Formats: sequence, C-alpha cells, structure tokens
Amino acid sequence: MTGDASANRVSFWRTFWANAVVAPRTSLGFMRIDFILGMIFIIPLTQISFFALTAQLANDSVSEIQFVVIGNAVATVTYSSVFSVCQTTDSEKQQGTMEHLLVSPANRLALYFGRGMIPILISLATVAMGLVYAVFLFGVPLAPGSEWALAVSVVLTAFAMVGFGLLLGGVALYLRTSIILGNIFLFVGLLLSGVNFPLSSLPSSLQWIGYALPLTWGLSAVRAAISGDSLGTLTILWGAVAICALVAYGAAILLWDVFEHRALATGSIARF
Amino acid sequence: MATAQVYGWSRGRSTLASIRLCVLQFVADPQWLIPSMIAPVIFGLVAFGLFANSGPNFLVYAILGAGMMSMWGQTLYGSGWATGQDRVWGTLEPTLQAPTPYLYVVLGRVLWNVVSGLIGGLIVYVVVVTVNGASPTLPNPAEFALLFVFVMLTLASVGTLLAAVYVYTRYAGFIQNIGEFAFYVGTGCMFPVVLLPFWTNPIGLLFPPTWALDALRYNGIPGYAGFSWGFGWDMVGAIATTAVYLGISTSVFRRVERQVLEKGSLGDY
Repeated sequence: MTGDASANRVSFWRTFWANAVVAPRTSLGFMRIDFILGMIFIIPLTQISFFALTAQLANDSVSEIQFVVIGNAVATVTYSSVFSVCQTTDSEKQQGTMEHLLVSPANRLALYFGRGMIPILISLATVAMGLVYAVFLFGVPLAPGSEWALAVSVVLTAFAMVGFGLLLGGVALYLRTSIILGNIFLFVGLLLSGVNFPLSSLPSSLQWIGYALPLTWGLSAVRAAISGDSLGTLTILWGAVAICALVAYGAAILLWDVFEHRALATGSIARF
Repeated sequence: MATAQVYGWSRGRSTLASIRLCVLQFVADPQWLIPSMIAPVIFGLVAFGLFANSGPNFLVYAILGAGMMSMWGQTLYGSGWATGQDRVWGTLEPTLQAPTPYLYVVLGRVLWNVVSGLIGGLIVYVVVVTVNGASPTLPNPAEFALLFVFVMLTLASVGTLLAAVYVYTRYAGFIQNIGEFAFYVGTGCMFPVVLLPFWTNPIGLLFPPTWALDALRYNGIPGYAGFSWGFGWDMVGAIATTAVYLGISTSVFRRVERQVLEKGSLGDY
C-alpha cells in the first residue's frame, strides 16, 4: 500500500516535470525562444503604446492614459496564458498525439499543472515587463512599499489566466479548431475586463460576463496594489482571483474527463 | 506584340484563377475571417469607448482605425500564408515551374486577402455604427470611397512584398504575431503618426499605408492635423512608395524563380 502510494507520487512528479519541460517544445507550438522573447519584450511595449496613444488622442488626461497603460500591461498576459495554452489541443490533434495522451495512465492533474508551468513563468515575465514599461516609460506612479502586494497580484493573475487557458483548451478539444476560441479570449478582455475603461461604463449584461473572467479580478488586484490600497481590499481581490483560478483548473480537469469518456465511447474526439 | 498579348492574358488568367481558388477555399472554410474580424471589432468597440464624448469626428477614427487593422491583419497573416501554403502543401516548386511567373499567382492571393480584410472592415463598420446608433458624416463620400480603394492597393503592395520576403525567411510567424501591434502603431492605424516620437516617423513613412491613411484622414476628417505637408504630398508619397514596393517584390520573385532552378531547395520546409 505504502509502495503504491510512493510509486504514485513518483509518477505524479515525473508526469509533472515531463510535461513542464517537454510541452513547450511540442504541443505548446508557440513557445519558441524568439516568440517567448517577443512576447515578453515587444508585445507589451507595442500594445501599451497603441492604446495609450489612442487614449491620448481621445482625451489627453494623464489619469485616463495611465488607466489604459496599466490595463494593457496586465492584459498582455493573455498571449502566453490563454492563446498559447489553448492552442495545445490543436497541436496534439495535428501531431496525432491526442489518442496516445487520452489512453495513457498519466495523472491528469500532474499533466495539466505541468503543462501550465512554463506558460505561468512566461506570463509572469510578460506582465512584469509590461509593468516596468508602465512605470519607467509611461510614468505610472507606484505607491511606496507596494511592490510585494503587486508581486502577489501578478503571480495570482498569471496562475489564474493559465488555468483559464487550460479550460479553453478543454473546450477546444470538442471543436474542430481552437483558433477561433483562442482569438476571442485573446482580445475579449480588452473590452470586458476593465482594461481600457471601467467595467461600470458597460451595459450590465456585459459587466456580468466581465466579472466571470479572471483577468477582471487580476487586473483589479494589480490596480489596487499599484495605488497602495489596504491589505483588507487586496485580500478580497486576491481571494476572487484565487477562486477564479480554482474554478478554471477544476473545470478544465472536469471537461477533459468528460471528453475522454466521450472519446472512448465514440472514438472520434481526435479528428482534426 | 501578339506574344506579349498572350503573356498578358496568361498572367491575368493566373491571377484570376488564384483569386477564384482563394474564394473557394474561403467559402469551404471561412474560419480565417473570424480571427481577422474578432480583433478589429473588439478594437473598434474599445476605440469607440475611449473616444466617447470626444466629438463627432472620432467615430470616423474608430471605424477607420479598426477597419484598417482588419485589412492590415489580413495582409500580415494572409501574405505569410500566400507563400507558406505552397511550402506546407508541397506545391511551391511545381507552381514556380509553371510558365506564368509566380508573382501573378501570389498577387491573386494577396488581392483576396485585402478584399477579405475589407469584409472584416465592413463588419466593423456595421457593429460600431449599430452601437453608436448613427453613421458618421463624411464631407466627400465618393472621394473617400475612391481613396479607400487606393489604401487597399497600398496594403496589397505591402502584402506582395511581405509574401516575397516570406519565401526567404522562416520568421513569417514571428513577424505576424509579434510585430502585429508594431505595424498598427507605426503606420498610425488608429491615430495620426505625428503623435509618435519624431524619430519614429521616418520608419512609419517606409510603409505606403502610412501615407495613404494620412491622406484618407485629411479627406474624411474636417480639421485633421496629420503630416504638415498635407493631402497632396501624402498622395505623392503613397504612390511612390507603392511603386517601390511593387518594384522590389517583382525583382525578389524573379530572383526566387532563378534560385529554385539553380538550387532546387526552395520547397524545404
């Protein structure tokens, strides 16, 4: 019994590390070094510049431009966490490895967390770089002593967003391709998560959709940390991000479980 | 003279056949319009939200900007695929061996990309106008439409050059995905390029759409403050850079055709 538990533990961590190390080179097709560097250094700068200049043209108000800058610095997280992770399902199907994955005894939890590890690290780096640009190039003021709160907010956001990407990857399992889903959620946060204007300026039905997205809560936590809000406020927001993350990872695992059973029943899930 | 005419017909027929094939592929699987449409529609709505209460002319900025992004996106991604598809399907070398120059086949694909980008732009227009509840007023709608077609042609020239460059580079994916926003910023899709730091302007002016879009805004937005030289020189710049782009792409495609005969390695993927 003890031997089985120990073997299971070893198998769990082996699956976790194998996926963490191998997935970026195989199913995470976008994770080439040039793409990674581009995602971390170029995309945040160009996306922030684009929306900051648009805001400047619309209304030359410093506070509004800074609102847009912070929003887009955090929103760049979606490239590595949502779009790339969501594409893994397509890659598995294209490479013909989906059937092998579905019949393998690998622990699913280890598999998903392992696959999410490198995207989480890249997401962290992307948001961190975006915030560096925001502070040093666009003059966003950072409240004194808020660095640690900001770090916690960014880590939680990256974690939750990768979970959301895995969830979309699970949905994409049932679709012919994940490119549409990936594209929708790559950009929808710009509109519904309070990236460019407060959520309150949207119709109430859209506000509810926005509240269901982890980016909304992650961004709120980052904004609160930057402006030096109290620990009480931050704790509530961190809790919301953590709940989003748990729901996303849980739903992702549940979806894959459902589709696995469907795959066994119909033998058609891996069609591309 | 008769031979030249036959060549002309043959090339025109190849371009038309290429467009027809693109249309058929699009009808069979129109999913590619969706990615090129989702982002511009969202950007159009975001711009509309940002420009709210900034005055009536900003509706034109939002629609024009998002529409341009649709066409730019389609040009960037579609041009990579214009030559990339031959590599993936193994048809690059056979197509290059055909009597018609490869340029005319690619031209058909690039033209279709611009047209499908325009469809995306129209969808952006419908969505933003629906949200706004009224369509924008243009001082000279007919001139604006004519200039818009010209902007499409300048984009097609960029698409042709990019397709030529993509034959040589394996970095098409990088240029498309990572450089997308840089193109939008540098060519002033949503705002005048003069808002950017001065040192960036010469880089933006290397692209024909920068000139053409500035001219289009001079025509469509009363009181627009773009490049100080105004509408006329914008048009001269747009025509000159478009001609240069087409010249370079023609030369690159000729070189590609020679190279494939010499090395036989072009289709390596």
